[in-house]
Amino acid sequence: VNIRHVGIIAKKELRGLGHERTIVFAILLQLFIAMFSSFLMVGLASMYDPEMAAGYSRARYSIGYAGADSPLVDEFSKRRDLQLYRMDLSEAVAALRERKVSAVIYVPDTPPDAEAPIAITLYTLQNDLQSGIINIKLRELLLGYEAKLREIRAERLESYPISLNFPEAQRGSDFFEFVYGLLIPLLVFMPAIISAALIIDLITEEHQRDTLATLLSTPVTFPEQVWGKIAACTVLVPVQAAAWLLLLMANGIAIRHAGAILLLVSVGGLFLILLGALPALHYRERTGAQFIFSTALVVVILGTISLPANPLNLIVLLSVGAAGALHWIVFCLAVLCTLCLAVAVTGYARHIAGVLHAEG
Amino acid sequence: MDTLSSIWIVSRWEVKRTLATMSRNVLPAAAALLLLLFAVTGFAAESGMHLQDGMYRIGADDPDVLAIVAPDARFDATIGDAAALRRDRAAYDVVVLRGEVYAADTAKGRSALRALEQDYERYVSRVLSGQEDLYAAYPLWIDLQYVKSELDFDATESGIMVGGLPDPHTLPLPEGPVEEVPPPVAGPDLSMEELRQGLIRDAAGDHPLSRYADVLSPDGGTRSLMVPSRLTPSLPFDSIVLVFVFIFPLYFTSQFFMMSIMNERIGRRGEALLSSPIRPWTIIAGKAAPYFAVMLLIAALITAANGAPQTILLPLFPVILFFLANALIIGMVSRSFKELSFLSIFFSTIATSYLFFPTVFAGVHVVSLVSPLTLVILALQGEGFTLAEYVYSTSLFFATAAVLFYAGVVNFNEERLFGHLPLRSTLVGFVSSGISRARPYCSLFALGGLSVPFVFMAQMMSLVLLFNLPAPLSLVLLLLAAAFIEEFAKSVGIYALFSSRPGFFTPGTMLCASFAVALGFLLAEKILLLATLSQITESIFGSILFLGLHLLWMPLLLHAAGVLLVSAALKAGGPRAYGIGLVAASTVHCLYNIAVISGWIL
Repeated sequence: VNIRHVGIIAKKELRGLGHERTIVFAILLQLFIAMFSSFLMVGLASMYDPEMAAGYSRARYSIGYAGADSPLVDEFSKRRDLQLYRMDLSEAVAALRERKVSAVIYVPDTPPDAEAPIAITLYTLQNDLQSGIINIKLRELLLGYEAKLREIRAERLESYPISLNFPEAQRGSDFFEFVYGLLIPLLVFMPAIISAALIIDLITEEHQRDTLATLLSTPVTFPEQVWGKIAACTVLVPVQAAAWLLLLMANGIAIRHAGAILLLVSVGGLFLILLGALPALHYRERTGAQFIFSTALVVVILGTISLPANPLNLIVLLSVGAAGALHWIVFCLAVLCTLCLAVAVTGYARHIAGVLHAEG
Repeated sequence: MDTLSSIWIVSRWEVKRTLATMSRNVLPAAAALLLLLFAVTGFAAESGMHLQDGMYRIGADDPDVLAIVAPDARFDATIGDAAALRRDRAAYDVVVLRGEVYAADTAKGRSALRALEQDYERYVSRVLSGQEDLYAAYPLWIDLQYVKSELDFDATESGIMVGGLPDPHTLPLPEGPVEEVPPPVAGPDLSMEELRQGLIRDAAGDHPLSRYADVLSPDGGTRSLMVPSRLTPSLPFDSIVLVFVFIFPLYFTSQFFMMSIMNERIGRRGEALLSSPIRPWTIIAGKAAPYFAVMLLIAALITAANGAPQTILLPLFPVILFFLANALIIGMVSRSFKELSFLSIFFSTIATSYLFFPTVFAGVHVVSLVSPLTLVILALQGEGFTLAEYVYSTSLFFATAAVLFYAGVVNFNEERLFGHLPLRSTLVGFVSSGISRARPYCSLFALGGLSVPFVFMAQMMSLVLLFNLPAPLSLVLLLLAAAFIEEFAKSVGIYALFSSRPGFFTPGTMLCASFAVALGFLLAEKILLLATLSQITESIFGSILFLGLHLLWMPLLLHAAGVLLVSAALKAGGPRAYGIGLVAASTVHCLYNIAVISGWIL
C-alpha cells in the first residue's frame, strides 16, 4: 500500500465531504442540539434534583394536618420551612385542591409503642412541580420521625445494622454519575459510529454509481482506495469527539485526560470503521451493508459493555481521573484487535480487487 | 378500486425486490448475527453493564463496611489501618474510619458519598426487612393519595407558588365547596409478609442502571403504601429508555424506505415506474405501505413483549407516519449516500429531541404532552390518556406528515428525482413546484397555511428547550425564536418564487403576495390553535408564541409586513439580501410582540 496514494484519496474524500455543505451544516446543528441538551440538563438537574431545589427555595409551605394528635406535630414545629395548620380533613383536602395548602397529612390515633404500624395518609397534588419539593421536605421530616419510633420499639428488634455517620453539609446529586457515567462515553463514541456508517456510504457509492471502473484505471490500487477512504473517516473521529469534549467543558463539566480519551476513541473509531468496511466491501450495496453493520454494531457494543474493564468503562474512568495501569493493558488490547482487523480488511480488499478485475 | 389495486401491485413489487436483494446473502448473515445478538444479550444480562465500574475509590478500616459496598461495582474498595488511610486520604473519594464517613470535597467525592449513602440505605433496609417484627423495624407507613387540582397549569407553569408566604395565624380555608373526605381506615390493608416482599423488591430495583429497566414495568404506580425513605419523585431521564425501545426500531425501519426511494434515483432506475400509467401518489403509497405495516408490527411486538397495553400503538401511529414522510423527502433530496446519512442523522437527532425532551416533564407539566411519547409513558403508568390529549399531542405529527407526503407526491417527477442540484436549490425547487404559474397568489396562500404545522413544531421545540431557563431570559429568548421561526417559514414561498421567477416581483405583486402568504398563515394558525393548543395558549409562554386570537387585522398586517420586508430585500439586493430581510422582519415581529405583551397596543 502506497501511503501517498492513500493520502491523495483521503484528501479527495474529505474535499467531497466539505463540498457537500450539508454535512458541515449537519455537524454544526448536531453540536447546537448537543449544546442545548447539556444546557438543558444542567438546568434540569438543578430543577429536578429535588434535594437541590429544596435547598434553594426559601419559601414556606403550608401543610394541612388532620386526625389525632401525635409527636409529629412537634417535628413540624422545629421546621421553619413548613407551616402546619390543624384542620378538618375534608376542608384541608378542599384547600389543597385550591392550592391554599401544599399537602395534607392525616394521622391515625395509633400510639407510638403499639403492635401495629402507624399508617399516615399523605395527600398531594398530582402532576405538580411543587409536590416534588414538598415530598422531599416531608421525607426528611418523616424519616426523623421514623427513627424516633424505631427507637421506641427498639426492644422488639433482633439485630441492628452497623451504624455509619455521614457528614451533614455535603450533598451530591445523580448529575455527576449521569454526565460522567453515561453521557460522556455516549457522546464521545457517537462520532466513531457516524464515521463507520460513512465508510459504508463511501465504498458502496463507488459500486452503485459505477464510478469504480474510472478510479481503477488510475495508478491507485483498490486497497489504496479503500484505505484512503478509511483514513478520511478516521480523521473525523477525534475532531468531532474533541468538539464534544470542548462543548462539555464550556458547559462547566471538567474532563480529565482528554488527550488519552481522544486517543482511545480514535482507536475505537478505527476499529468500527474497519468493521463497517467489511460488509461494504462484501455487499457493494448500501442497504444490505448498513443493515448488517448496524446489527453487528449492536452485538459488539453490547458484548463490549458487559465485559469488565471495557474501553467505554475506561473512558468513564479517564474522564473522572480514576484509571490505573489496567488502562494501558486494555488500550494495547484494543490496538491489537484493530491491527488484526486492519490486516483482514486489507486482505479482503485485495481479494475483492481480484474479483473486480475478473469481472472486468 | 383501480388505485387500490395499483397500490397493491407496487407494494408487492417493492416487497419482492427488497427480499430479492436482501435474501441473496444478507439474510444468512443477518440470521447468524441475530443468533449472536441473542447470545450476547444473555451474556450481558448475566454479567451486567460494566460502564461505571470503579468510578469511586473507597477506603475503610472495617471489613464489614466494605461488605456494604461489595455488591456495588462503582466502588473500588481498599481495606487498611486508620493511620495509612488518613495519610493517603487524597487518593480516596470516601474514607470510613470507626463508623465516621469522610468524603473528598469535590463533585466526585460528593457523588461517591451519595452512592455510599444509597448503598448503606439498601443495606439497612436489608437488615431491617429481615426482622421478625417488621412493624418494629418499620413503624411508620405512608399512604400516598393524589389529589387533582383544577388550577394545575396556570399556577405552576414557571414553578412559582401561588399565594405568597403563609400566615401562621389564619387558617387557609377553602373558598369553594367542601367535598366530604372520609377519614382513612387505620392500619395497612396488606399483610406483614406482603409488605416485607414489597420492601425487598424495592431494595432490589434500586441500582441506577437497573432503574432504567424498571421504567418499562407497568406496575410502578399501583402500590401506594410505602416507608418514608421511598417517598421520592421519579427521575426525569428514565424516559430516554423508551426512546431506545420504541422509537429507535421505528426510525431504523424507516431507513429502508429512505434507501428504497434513493435507489430509484440511482442510475435513473425508477424511470420505468415513472413512465407507467401509475400516478405518483399511488407509487409512493405502494412503496411506503410495506414499511408502514412492518413498523406497526414491530411496535406491536415490542409492546406485547413488554406486557404493555396495546393503546400505546395509537400515539406511535402518527410517529410512524412522520418518520416515513421524512424518509421520503430525505430520500428524494439527497445527492449522495453520505448526504443521505448525514441528513438522516440530523433528522433523527431533531426528532429524538422533540420526542424525548418533553417527556422529561411527564406527569409534571402540560408541556410534556407536546410529545406523543408522553402518552406512551402515561399508558405505561396505567394512567391512560383522553381523546383531547391524544389530539393535542399527535395533531402536529399528522399535519406535518401529511404536508411532507404532499410535497413528495408533487415533486415525484423526473426533473426532481434525477436532477443533481445542491441541497438548497433542490429544496427551493421542491417548494417552487408547489407554486402554480397561473395562480401564484392561491399557491402562496396555501403555502403560508401549510407551513404552520412546521412552525408550531419548531416553536414547541423552542418552548421545551427554553422553558427551563430562568424566567425573564426564557421569555426573551422565546420571543426572539418565535418571531424568527415564523418569519422564516413565511419567507420560504417568497424566496422560492423569487428564485424561479425573479421578474414576477413588482411593488404591486409583492404587496399582493405578502397578503396572500399572511392570510394563509394566519388562517391556518388560528384553525390549528383552536383545534389543538388551547391548553398551551392559556399559559404565559403561549401568549408569547401565539399572540392575539381576538384581534385579527393587527396580526394580519404584521405578517404581511414581515413578508413584504423580506421580498423588498430580495428585490433590492437579490438572494444575498435574504438574510438581511429576514432579520429586519424578525425584528419588527419581535417589537410588535413586545408591544402587545407590555400592553402598548390593545
